[in-house]
Amino acid sequence: MPDWQELVRRRLSGLRLDSNQKEEVHAELAAHLEESYEAFWAEGVPEPEALRRTLAQVADWKELQRKIRSARIRKDIMTNRVTQLWLPGLLTFALSMGLEAVVQKFGPRPIVLDLDKGTPVLMFYTAWLLMLPLAGALGAYLSKRAGGSVRMVLAASIFPVLPFAVVFLIAIPVGLVVNHNLEHHIVTAAYLSMSVGWVLAPGVALLAGGLPVHLLLRRRSSSQNAAIV
Amino acid sequence: MIGSGIKRGTAELAVLSVLQDGPLHGYELARRIEQQTNGALRFTLAALYPMLYRLEQQRWIRGAWETSANGRRRRCYRLTPAGKKKLSPLQREWAELFRALQRLTKVAHA
Repeated sequence: MPDWQELVRRRLSGLRLDSNQKEEVHAELAAHLEESYEAFWAEGVPEPEALRRTLAQVADWKELQRKIRSARIRKDIMTNRVTQLWLPGLLTFALSMGLEAVVQKFGPRPIVLDLDKGTPVLMFYTAWLLMLPLAGALGAYLSKRAGGSVRMVLAASIFPVLPFAVVFLIAIPVGLVVNHNLEHHIVTAAYLSMSVGWVLAPGVALLAGGLPVHLLLRRRSSSQNAAIV
Repeated sequence: MIGSGIKRGTAELAVLSVLQDGPLHGYELARRIEQQTNGALRFTLAALYPMLYRLEQQRWIRGAWETSANGRRRRCYRLTPAGKKKLSPLQREWAELFRALQRLTKVAHA
């Protein structure tokens, strides 16, 4: 019996979809061909004829490839972005902000970091940081479930820190350039401390939840595909 | 008034109608349509999957991987609430076409 998965993969080698979608199409079509072939075989059709009849279901693989792409691409890039990034990202953001509010109200006192006189203090809500992996995991799970790529999954899981990252990467450097009156050593210290507090530490915590979920789901998806072969 | 997309509509009607009875994977779906129409309607792989993917994008059906009784993983399709809602107008449209054709053939034979 042919390796149907390999056969479909070769014949649809030019299918331009993201890797998850492509694997899914390959697996599904291979399963269909396999069942057709087995049904012919069960009816007593000799092997070469069963194979011929099975493959006769697709007269033109290039045309099929084009039709599949056209049907699947209709779920356009905007829809993908919404389900794979914006929706899971905003839920992650809402959850992380909700957790922060709860921790601020009911949680233990934050660790206060006083870097230097005149520089802003930094408050680490350790309880919040410890809960953030949950939010990151949720974002990654929802994005992956919607067929998100690695980039989308990880972006959804660290979504809550992305706005702050943009502020710290754009607003502060621009402020440094524009406002010459600022004492640069103070600004630099503030910049670094706030970057750690608002972006780096929560980002790492979110990723600590998002990355394992991504790896776990990827492994599960690979084993499912292997089982289908 | 019969819609211009009636040809595509009948194929969609066949798929949605069969899925009304419960979830099926692609191969089963094609077999079921063939059996229920006594072979009058046949879906090859090349015709079936682009349509299933299109219906899925329209959110009339939803596909999900499931493990069958024999341990095989198959992508099963089920009708969504939107698909159920779509089915009635499609059935009416088809019935209208059928009646129109009947009237036409009666006139032709008269």
